[in-house]
Order: sequence, then C-alpha cells, then structure tokens
Amino acid sequence: MTLTREAPVATVREAPRKPRRHDGLTTALMAGPATVLYVVMLVIPVGLAFYLSLTDWDGFSADPAFVGAANYASLLDDPELRRAALVTLLVAAAGTAGLNLLGLGFALLVNGASRANTFFRIVLFYPHVLSALVVGFLWSAILGTTGAVNNLVTTWGGEVLPFLSDPAWATVTMIAVLVWAGFGVNVVLYLAGLQAVPHSLIEAAKIDGATRRQVFRNVTLPALGPSVTINIVLSLVTLLKTYDLVVSLTAGGPAGQTQTVAYLILWNSFHDARLGFGSAQSVILMLVTAALAFVVTRLRRRGEMAVHQ
Amino acid sequence: MRKTFLWATVAFMLIPLYVLTVNAFKGQQEILGNPFGLDGLTLEPLGRALTNPQFDVVKGYAVTLLFVVAVNVLSVLLAAPAAYTIARSPKRRFRVLMLFFLAGTFIPGQVLVIPVVYVLKTLGLMGTIRGFVLFETTLTLPFSIFLYAGYIATIPAVLDQAAAVDGAGRLRTFWQIVFPLMRPAVATMVILNTFSVWNDFVNPQIILGPGSGLYTVTTGVYAAVSQYSTDYTVVFPTLLLAIAPLLVFFVLMQRHIISGLTAGATKG
Repeated sequence: MTLTREAPVATVREAPRKPRRHDGLTTALMAGPATVLYVVMLVIPVGLAFYLSLTDWDGFSADPAFVGAANYASLLDDPELRRAALVTLLVAAAGTAGLNLLGLGFALLVNGASRANTFFRIVLFYPHVLSALVVGFLWSAILGTTGAVNNLVTTWGGEVLPFLSDPAWATVTMIAVLVWAGFGVNVVLYLAGLQAVPHSLIEAAKIDGATRRQVFRNVTLPALGPSVTINIVLSLVTLLKTYDLVVSLTAGGPAGQTQTVAYLILWNSFHDARLGFGSAQSVILMLVTAALAFVVTRLRRRGEMAVHQ
Repeated sequence: MRKTFLWATVAFMLIPLYVLTVNAFKGQQEILGNPFGLDGLTLEPLGRALTNPQFDVVKGYAVTLLFVVAVNVLSVLLAAPAAYTIARSPKRRFRVLMLFFLAGTFIPGQVLVIPVVYVLKTLGLMGTIRGFVLFETTLTLPFSIFLYAGYIATIPAVLDQAAAVDGAGRLRTFWQIVFPLMRPAVATMVILNTFSVWNDFVNPQIILGPGSGLYTVTTGVYAAVSQYSTDYTVVFPTLLLAIAPLLVFFVLMQRHIISGLTAGATKG
C-alpha cells in the first residue's frame, strides 16, 4: 500500500523498464540458492547412489575402489536380504490392504459435518503426528513380554502372549501397529475423495430404489476410483521404506526375523560399514518402489476405464 | 450401532495414550502390578526423566526447536523466491523447471542418506549442525517449490505489473506484494516441515551421529529408551515428554495440521 502512495500515477509513462541484464541477475539471485542446494544435496546424491553402489565404500576412505557389479551379485545370494525382502513385501501388501480397508470404511462412517465426526477424525488421525520411533517404543511397552497387556494376562492366570517374541506374531504385530498409526491419514484422504462424489448421482440411484449397499458398490466406489489409486500407491510407497518402527518396536528381532529392507540398508551401511553394498540395496529398493507404483497406477487405470465403459 | 462401534474404536485409539500417560506417573512395581490402574501416582519418575544423564530432555527440545526454526526459515527464504521466478516465467521454461524440482519429491530419504554422507564429508560438513540443517532444508525444497509455484500462479500478475509501474524492483515486488499473499501456502509448508523435522530419526542419527553429543528429541529418546526398554519408569516418562509438545500443538491447531499433513502425504 505504502508503495502506491510513494509513487504517484503520473510517473507511469516514465517508469523505467529494467534492462534485461539486470533481470537475469535478479532471477539468479532469487532462484539460484535453492537450485544450487537442490543440485548439491539431492540431484548429485541420486547420481552418487548409483556410482557408490559400484564401489566398496566403507564410509571413511576418500576414494573407494570400483568393484563393478559385485555388490549387486552378492545381493542375489544374501539370505538376510531375501528374508528382509519377503518381510517388506508382506508388510507392504498386508499393510496397504489394512490401511485402505480401514481408511475407506471409517471415512464412510465419519463422513458428514458434525461435532462428533470432527472429534472422531481427530482421534483416528492423531497417531500420525507422533514419530514412528515413539509409537514403536510405546507399543513395545504395551505388548512386550513384561508389557502392560501381558501383565494383565498373567494376572488373570493366562500364558504370556508372544506378540513381539515370536517371529510370526512379531510380523503381524508390526503390521497391526503400522495400520493403527497410519490409517487416519487414509481416512482423511478418502473423506476428501468422498466430497467429490456428485451428490445428484447418489440421489438418483436412491430414487431408482437402490439399497445403501448398491449405492456404494455402483455409484460411490466407482466415483472414488482416483482416490483409491492415490491411497494405494501412497500406502505402498510409505510401507516399502518402513524403518523407524522396526528399530523401536522389534529392533529387527526376534533373531532378525522382522528386519525390513530399509532396516537392512542402514544396518549394512552404518553398522557393518558397507556403504557400497547398502547403496546397491537402496538403488534396488528405489527401482522396485517406482516399478510397483507404476504397475499399480497402470492396473488401476485399466480398472477405472473398464468401469466407465 | 455405528456410534457404539466408533466409540469402541476411539477407546482402542486412545488406550495407548492413556497407558503412556498414567504410567509416566508410577513406580515400576505399580506399572508391572497394575498397568491400567491409577494407584500410587507420583511425579518422581517424570522428574528423573527430566534430569536423565543419558538424555537431557530440555536440551533435546531446544536443539530440535532450533532445527525446526532454522529449516523453516531457510526453506521459505530459498523456496519462495525460486517458486516465484518459476511461476512468473514463460510457459515452457516454467514446465521444465517445475519438473526438475518435482522429480525430487519422488526420491525417498533413505536412498539419499548414504550418498549425502559422501557429499557432506567432501564438503567438511559431516557431523555439523550446518550440514544437517542444509540437508533437511533440501528435503523440503521440492514440495515447497511445487506448492508455492502453484499458489503464486493463482495470484494475478497484474499486481506485479502495478508494483513494477510504481518503480519497485522484482525482489521488492516479490517480498512486499506477492509474499504476504502466500500466507496459507506458507502456513501449510511450515506445519509440514515442523512435523517432519521434529519426528525425523534417520537423518539426525546418521548425519549428526552420537559422537556430536547433539541429541534431537527422537535420537535422544532412542539413546535413553532402547537400552532400558524394560525399566518402565524410564520408558513411559521419556516417551511422554517426547510427544507432549507435539500433541498440545496438534490439539490446538488440529484443523490446519490435518489439512497440512494430508497435503504433504499426497506429495508423491
């Protein structure tokens, strides 16, 4: 406002058009710092990840030796990695199913503006603001061998339940905690999607005598198509890099049975000082994640097309 | 039926928080004997957690808050003007630059951490606050620029022209005319960055390292809790202290935070 007052309208015609050279300088001044930082700390590292995966870098040496595809070769016959890959895929698949079933289900339950619904949404969402590290420690204090639940069980004369001490149980517990902590986000995303479902369509279906289930199956769900795709891809991408929760909930145990690929990457890199090997793993993880996201999007698009025909 | 089910879910969501809160005020015997009860409440464990030599919680808050502020300020200072030049440039260049930055939102942090160690070591910034803040800021840039550029595109360019006519340079036009109008987008980004920096564990753990003696809330909790995971008089009060500020912030600002964090969740 002060600006307009300082410079009267009369100067319009004489307003000097800044020379182009000066413009370029200003652009460089405005976009330069962000671009430089982005290139140094993100673009170059992505390239470096590929390069380092071909070396035996230990995290200390200044010029790591080039070892070709050796890291990738040893990936293939690494039993730990094979197990971790299986755990990760299981977590991603089961977790994606859980997050989306609960997310969509609860979105339908708390859809509509009311004070109670606002409260429900907040309660479903809140674990997302806590760090996964804290969530994991908290649940391990609740479900551990001497944790709250097992104290209750033994007081009542029951056997200790191996939530975190049996490999199969621990994997299921981990998936359950991931879903508990994350489905609130899916609820909110599906709620946003539900706002976009045309109300007139639902009304028309009702007038035609459709039951609530029929309305959901034939009107709401198809209209939610893009929302479902986004949610599935998002869950998948997030779950494929599960790390913090593994550290705090199970520490990869019992006996390394709940290690995920991301856990193994950081363990190999920084505990075993094999950063070259870790880089190879992270390159593969990145490519697999991108491929899965692409495939899911493709499949979903085909599904959506089929619905519209 | 629907209401009963929802209230049961609410209980299931909140019980962990209840267990955490009540047990933060109890001795080990009371926790083991009756984890859900309210008897024998005392402030003593909380006091001990506050003075834990393993992890100075107050210092942890201060360090984390410093990082949160530094990353947010730097992120806005770098991303906002960059987004402005992108948003106001000709169509083709706009699209190319936007794609260049947008590609960054698809790169997971875990993939970056190993090569970034290499870069930081080369620059002599490994294990330093500067290195950590610069890297965390970089992680915020792609989505910030994307969000800001999209927002600036909705601000009429007539405003810029009017300012130019009045003799303001491009820098001044941006910071005095356009930037104040970007408040909603900046608020969303600040919320998003605050949570991601506060809750980040991998990057401070690896870039700052235990050797630096600098603990954020998450790396401090890790140092304090992972070794004593069965001494619940340490676990519960420490965890409560770690999440209390964020929970209060969340309850006060829930509407903005939910929309902000969901905007961030869909970023890639």
